[in-house]
Amino acid sequence: MIARLANPRVLLGLALFLVGAVLAFHAWRGPTDAMLMPRVVLTLWCGFALVITFVELSHATAMSSRSLSPLPVLMAAVLIAAIAVASLGFLLPSLPLVALTLWLFRLRRPLPLAVGTLVIAGGLWFLFHHVLLIRLPTLLTSGAL
Amino acid sequence: MDIILAAVGDAFAWQALLAIVVGTWAGIIIGGLPGLGSVVGLTVFLPFTFGMSTITSMALLIGVYCGSVYGGSITAILINTPGTPQSAATTFDGYPMTQEGRVDEALGWATFASFFGGVLSCVILIFCAPQLAKFAVNFGSIEVFALICLAMMCIVGVSKGSVMKGLVCGMIGFFLSMVGSDPITGADRFTFGSYALSSGLTLIPVVVGAFALSEVFVRFSSRDDPGAKIPEAKLRLPRLGEWFKRLIELVRGSLIGSFIGALPGTGAAAAAFISYASAQKLSPRRDRLGQGEPDGIIASESSNNAVTGSSFIPTLALGIPGDVVTAMMMGAMVIHGITPGVRLMVDQAQTVYSLFVVLIIVNVAMLILSKPSIGLFRYLFRLHQGYVMAAIVIFSFIGAATVRGNPLDLVVAALTGILAYALRRADYPLAPLVIGMVLGPELESSLRRGLLIKRGDFLEFFTHSGISMTLFSLLALFIIWTVWSGIAQRRQSSANAPRAESDATK
Repeated sequence: MIARLANPRVLLGLALFLVGAVLAFHAWRGPTDAMLMPRVVLTLWCGFALVITFVELSHATAMSSRSLSPLPVLMAAVLIAAIAVASLGFLLPSLPLVALTLWLFRLRRPLPLAVGTLVIAGGLWFLFHHVLLIRLPTLLTSGAL
Repeated sequence: MDIILAAVGDAFAWQALLAIVVGTWAGIIIGGLPGLGSVVGLTVFLPFTFGMSTITSMALLIGVYCGSVYGGSITAILINTPGTPQSAATTFDGYPMTQEGRVDEALGWATFASFFGGVLSCVILIFCAPQLAKFAVNFGSIEVFALICLAMMCIVGVSKGSVMKGLVCGMIGFFLSMVGSDPITGADRFTFGSYALSSGLTLIPVVVGAFALSEVFVRFSSRDDPGAKIPEAKLRLPRLGEWFKRLIELVRGSLIGSFIGALPGTGAAAAAFISYASAQKLSPRRDRLGQGEPDGIIASESSNNAVTGSSFIPTLALGIPGDVVTAMMMGAMVIHGITPGVRLMVDQAQTVYSLFVVLIIVNVAMLILSKPSIGLFRYLFRLHQGYVMAAIVIFSFIGAATVRGNPLDLVVAALTGILAYALRRADYPLAPLVIGMVLGPELESSLRRGLLIKRGDFLEFFTHSGISMTLFSLLALFIIWTVWSGIAQRRQSSANAPRAESDATK
């Protein structure tokens, strides 16, 4: 049973139900007028998620051992860069993010990696921020970087 | 007649034609880049128009607008990543066609349907703008609520495999649209004390995360699989016989888009989903929808491009912009001395007719420029997959950051990307998430306004007007049809199962 519970599909269904339940609890405590629609939506969300969890549980099989993938590294890098943009501006988090993405997609020769990083992160930032004047989040108050 | 001839002369001036070519081509490219759409395109080109004449400047902006709506379909078909939210529905059938090796056919149908929808909506704009504007005024909150309920039905249609999973994704999208201030009372909802969240979540970061970033993660998982390479972009326009066979689908999608565009506050993304929902019920090839059927592309692309013409109806005739894009266009018109409103046709008839002619020329230019534009994407996608994926990540970030300059949108895009990847791996359809996010706000605000009008009596919605009664009756029919066809399908598959088993034992 525990092995079946550890199936990612079951865990996802369960996680969706729990998140929905917490939000629904919040909605039912809020003002009636403003929370009318959220209450309906979140109740339906919880109901559907619960049904999905039981259906997935009935079909779940024990997971075989899996090899480690570097995908969580890429996901974490994207999330960290997104958070860092607010305080470091657009350019500084973009450079390591692009370099890491290229490297993870097996582009590992130094010259293409460096050129790709500069053109994709630096070039697009320069194009939008300085040439097209579509202002991206900045590090300095002057807006130069 | 003299006015119309003078208007045609204005629209065919070499400066206006050059502006149309530059604007349309740039619009297609901008629309094709994930996260960047009509708003970014217009923002880039608006300052260039200040020194131009009225018609030339409007030609440039209309070119960018129409081009970007079409351009979104290119990446939607090639890499399952809609360049703009308007093209999200194009992925349902466009990408399966690409996976079947029919990329040229998919791009051809997207191009032709976009052209057809755009031109038909221009014709409607020329002949029926005043009548359509009058009819659109009859659409109050209750009628809009009924219309959006009908459109929501397409969640069931795009959730092949598991309707339950589609519904939960629809609820997630709907919930995301409710974060921020309540549209009626202004009370904060689900902000958890965060000032940044009080302005709510916008569509672009969610679409960018759900489609573009999750696609990067999916492609990363299969980066060593030679079958997962991006196919070469090719274009084959449908032959006369082929498009004549699907003429009804083309006309239906274009009419739906033309009508939805005339309603203030709905927009091209909603039109595409409503049109797709109708194709699921009315297309003769509806059984194949979602598995690579051109009718799905036609429904989405003809309607979203038809909105480009008809969205000018409330803008020009009533002075009411339908969405952000038409609000920007209206601003540009005011800057150039055009004052939209009921007096416009009387005071500036020649200018208005010139805009109509420009719209038709833009759609023709879009058809001609589609080939070189797709050629450019062909060269871009020939690069190492790492470059393409890194560029998609950065364009997604730029798209999310430029919506309203709120860095929180980047975090929303990243989190949505991670969630969308997990959902895709567990076979949850992502389209309902976007449908919920697109249609949710309009559904809620029309319901709440309707309840205020009817003093809380929901049952009165059904008898409010002839239009609402018709729409609710259609909704009831759709629900009965969906349930009945589901039961029939289940019966058929359970009847086929023992036959297949006995065949296997033989």
